[in-house]
Amino acid sequence: MTIDLENICKSYGDLKVLSNFNLEIENDHSYVITGESGKGKTTLIRILLGLEQPDSGKVHLMGDYKYAYLNAGVVFQEDRLCENFSAVQNVVMVNKNNSVKVAEEELKKLLPEDSIYKPVRELSGGMRRRVAIVRACAIPSDMLIMDEPFAGLDAVSRQKAIDYIREKQGRNPLFITAHDAEGFDFCREVKL
Amino acid sequence: MTKFIKNVVAAVFWLFVWQIIALIVHNKVLLAGPIEAFNALIRMAGEAEFWQSVSASYLHIIAGIFIGILLGGLLSVLSYKNELIEMFLSPLVLALKSIPVASIIILILIWVGSDFISTFISALVALPIMYVGMKNGFSSADKKLLEMAHVYRMPPVNQFRFIYLPALFPSLLSAISLAVGMGFKSGIAAEVIGQPLLSMGNGLYRAKIYLDTGDVFAWTFVIILVSWITEKIVMLLLSLVKKGGGIK
Repeated sequence: MTIDLENICKSYGDLKVLSNFNLEIENDHSYVITGESGKGKTTLIRILLGLEQPDSGKVHLMGDYKYAYLNAGVVFQEDRLCENFSAVQNVVMVNKNNSVKVAEEELKKLLPEDSIYKPVRELSGGMRRRVAIVRACAIPSDMLIMDEPFAGLDAVSRQKAIDYIREKQGRNPLFITAHDAEGFDFCREVKL
Repeated sequence: MTKFIKNVVAAVFWLFVWQIIALIVHNKVLLAGPIEAFNALIRMAGEAEFWQSVSASYLHIIAGIFIGILLGGLLSVLSYKNELIEMFLSPLVLALKSIPVASIIILILIWVGSDFISTFISALVALPIMYVGMKNGFSSADKKLLEMAHVYRMPPVNQFRFIYLPALFPSLLSAISLAVGMGFKSGIAAEVIGQPLLSMGNGLYRAKIYLDTGDVFAWTFVIILVSWITEKIVMLLLSLVKKGGGIK
C-alpha cells in the first residue's frame, strides 16, 4: 500500500506544528521522523491514524483500501496498556485472532518468561515498552507506527527490539519517531 | 479495641439509653423499650404470617431493585452510545429523581393497584440511581485506552471487559449499594401506603393502627436486617466478580 501525506498543516492556537508537510509512505520502506520535542512528530502520527484532522492538506490511503481508517499496529508515546492485566492479556485483548499461545511465544522473545503473567503495572518502564511493541506487532496490520518506541530501553534491549520489529514488519511500511536518526540506518530519515 | 468491639459497645450503650428513656416515659404506647421490642420480635417470629410477609415483601422488593438496576444500566449504556437518546432520557431520569416517592406511590396505586406496588416503587427508585452511577463510570473510562482500542479495532466485548469495567466498578459498587438501601426503604414505604396483604409494610401499618410501638420497632429491625443482609450478599458477589475479573 501507499500512503500519501499531502501539504499537511496543523496548528494549536498560535503554535504552528506542521507546515506543508509532504511524504509518500510505501511498502518495503522504513521511515524515521526526527525532530526535537514539540516539532509535531506525535501530531503527525495522530493525523496519519485519523485521530486528528489537519487544518489543511490530506492523507490519501492509496489503492483499494478496505478500511475507513488506517489498520496499523501502533506503539503510542505512552504505553497505553491495561495496567491491571498481564502482558499476555494485553496482547490477546486487542484482536480476536490473537491466541494466548502465540502471545506467550511472542512476548518471550523480548521479555523474561517470569514477567509475562504479572500485571503490567508491576513491570519496569522498559518492560512495559516492550509489551507495547509486541502488541503492535502481534495484530495483522498494514503498517507499523511507533512513537519513540525505544524510550527507556538499554542498548541490548533496544537492538533486540529493533531486530524483532524488522522481522515482524515483513513488506509493510514502518514509521518510527525519534529525537535523532542514530541507530536507524535501515530507515529513511525525515526531519521535522 | 477492635472495630467490632467498638461497634458492639456503642450499640449496647444506645440500647441502654433507649431502655432508660422508655422507663422514664413509662408508656408502652408512646415508646416501647428494647426489651418489649425484642419480645414482640420473638412473638412475631412464631407466627406463620410473619414469615409469609417477610418472604413476600422481600421477593417483591428484590425483583423491583433487580429490574431497576437492569433498566438503569441498559439505559445508561444507550445514553452513553447515543447523544440523542441521552438528550431524551436525561430529563426523564431527573424527573424520576425529583418527584416525591409518595406521589409516585399514589399514582401507581391508582394505575395498577397494590399487589405489586413495592416492586414498581423499588424499580423506579433504583433505576435513576443506577443510570447516574453507570453514566459517571462510563465517563471516567480512560480516554487514551479508548483511543488505543479504536486504533486497534479492539472487539467491543474486550473493550467492555478490560477498559470500561475497571472504570465502572467504583461507581457501580456505590450505585448498587445505594439502590439496594433506597429500594428497600421506598418499597416498604409503598407497602405502608398501599397495604398489600402479607407484607412487611402492612405489618408495620397494623402495628401503627394498634398503637403497638413494640411491633413497630420489631418490624423496623427486621426491615433493616433484611436490607443489610441483602446489601452484604450483593457486595460479596460483586467483589467476587471483581476478583475474578482481575479488577483492582
